[in-house]
Amino acid sequence: MKSAAKPFGSSIVPFIYASLFIVTVWQLVVTFTNAHVALLPPPLLTAETFFELIISGELFVHTGASLGRVVAAWVLSAVVAIPLGLAMGRFMRFERVMDPLIELFRPISPLAWIPLAILWFGIGETGKIFIIFIATFFPILLNTVSGVKGVDPVLIRAGQVLGCDTDRALFTKVILPAAMPTIVVGLRISFGTGWAAIIAAELVAAQVGLGYLIADGMEILRSDLVLVGMITIGILGVLIDAVFRILNNRFAWGS
Amino acid sequence: MTDTTDTTLNTKGITIKRTAVTFNTDTDSPVEALRPIDLDIAPGDFIALVGPSGCGKSTLLNVLAGFIKPTSGSALVGDEPITKPDIDHGVVFQDYALFPWLNVIDNVAFGLERQGIGKQERYARALDNLDMVGLKDSAYKKVTELSGGMKQRVAIARVFATDPSIILMDEPFGALDALTRRFLQHQLLEIWQKNRKTVVFVTHSVQEAVYLANRVIVMTARPGRIKLDHRIELDYPRDFASSEFRTLEKLVYDQLDEELAKTFSLEGGQGYSGD
Repeated sequence: MKSAAKPFGSSIVPFIYASLFIVTVWQLVVTFTNAHVALLPPPLLTAETFFELIISGELFVHTGASLGRVVAAWVLSAVVAIPLGLAMGRFMRFERVMDPLIELFRPISPLAWIPLAILWFGIGETGKIFIIFIATFFPILLNTVSGVKGVDPVLIRAGQVLGCDTDRALFTKVILPAAMPTIVVGLRISFGTGWAAIIAAELVAAQVGLGYLIADGMEILRSDLVLVGMITIGILGVLIDAVFRILNNRFAWGS
Repeated sequence: MTDTTDTTLNTKGITIKRTAVTFNTDTDSPVEALRPIDLDIAPGDFIALVGPSGCGKSTLLNVLAGFIKPTSGSALVGDEPITKPDIDHGVVFQDYALFPWLNVIDNVAFGLERQGIGKQERYARALDNLDMVGLKDSAYKKVTELSGGMKQRVAIARVFATDPSIILMDEPFGALDALTRRFLQHQLLEIWQKNRKTVVFVTHSVQEAVYLANRVIVMTARPGRIKLDHRIELDYPRDFASSEFRTLEKLVYDQLDEELAKTFSLEGGQGYSGD
């Protein structure tokens, strides 16, 4: 978590090296296997397609659509999972009831929900948001629970002897702020898992979005489009994580 | 109560009546931590509680803080029985227990806010109390930037800020290096001499006990009882090297050694479960 405090420049250098490495290997594979352009287009062609899509604005439309879905689902997840997690962390009995339920649902991949999502919500936005909701829900919930349960008992005692004489006061003045960094970590992780699940969500008959770009590229045998979609997801994933790390630093009193 | 230099001192005595604590453990038979204890502490006294590890001195302090209920007997502050933690019964913890999400001054003002004191007033009072421990200049620092000694000074400012009638200190200097410890002992004495709050101070150090307290209480090995109750009449500030000081230290050590011997023979002899 300390690495986020480093200047932006020094944290971006490793990514530049990694990118150069990937492009080199990619080009070598294309050259030596003589791969068909529909199977593995060379980096340069993919870069051309990438900039074409940027200039035409198409890439921004797809990215915006995907990002919008992830944000909507993630916010919805946070609204449900944080209060639930706070209650589970606070009330042991409630946690004991909820825990088996959560353990049963947690291993089920968001992908497995796609058929039901289509049946229940059709092929509109709701189904896609539902899939990402599933993907983002558990990291937020579990981090919130462990954040609340992990509050140093001595801080709770300190709160009690400093006038937090009701459960409510103790909760809002001590437990919630003490658990905050862990909750923020959950929000960060879940945005990542949500972003990773976007393809699955957009395989459900999307008309726009990076997942659509990839699926469409496959159908019309345009592997360069597939690669552009994948690369965009990768780059944005890293950028979003960086933004969260900066936000996280504001709450990172604990580290 | 708005004036920080209020001359009416808020300080109360403590009465411990046949107070005993037994812990129920899941596996073993119940552990008797504290034999029925009787103790009268006068308002404004500085009590040092000394004893071997696990003798129940922290248990007694936790009863006085309202963190644990005694199995039998009762404890009173003034005429009021202790039933739960109370802002009038201040506590200083060994590991500081500052709130890391608040800066220094907000930590000190925390209790004042709970007492419903307005922002301006509580910041003024918090600053006064930080000044008292020599940390006025650090008021707007993050607590994570402070050294251990500074953290404990903030905690001391925080406990005095709310003007409690008793202050309970659980090995407050135990985690500090020797020099910092001496400095804080000195500072604490100066503050206590000014406002004469009743202090109950748990420590492992006989020297610390004799240096600070006007009454030293040695507790026996578990189950804890009072082994020695000795008033110390030496003038403050006390001289570690004086013969009177050394004599008192020896008196306390002699009592303590008997108990330590018991603790260790207990550990070696039968299956002592420890803490």
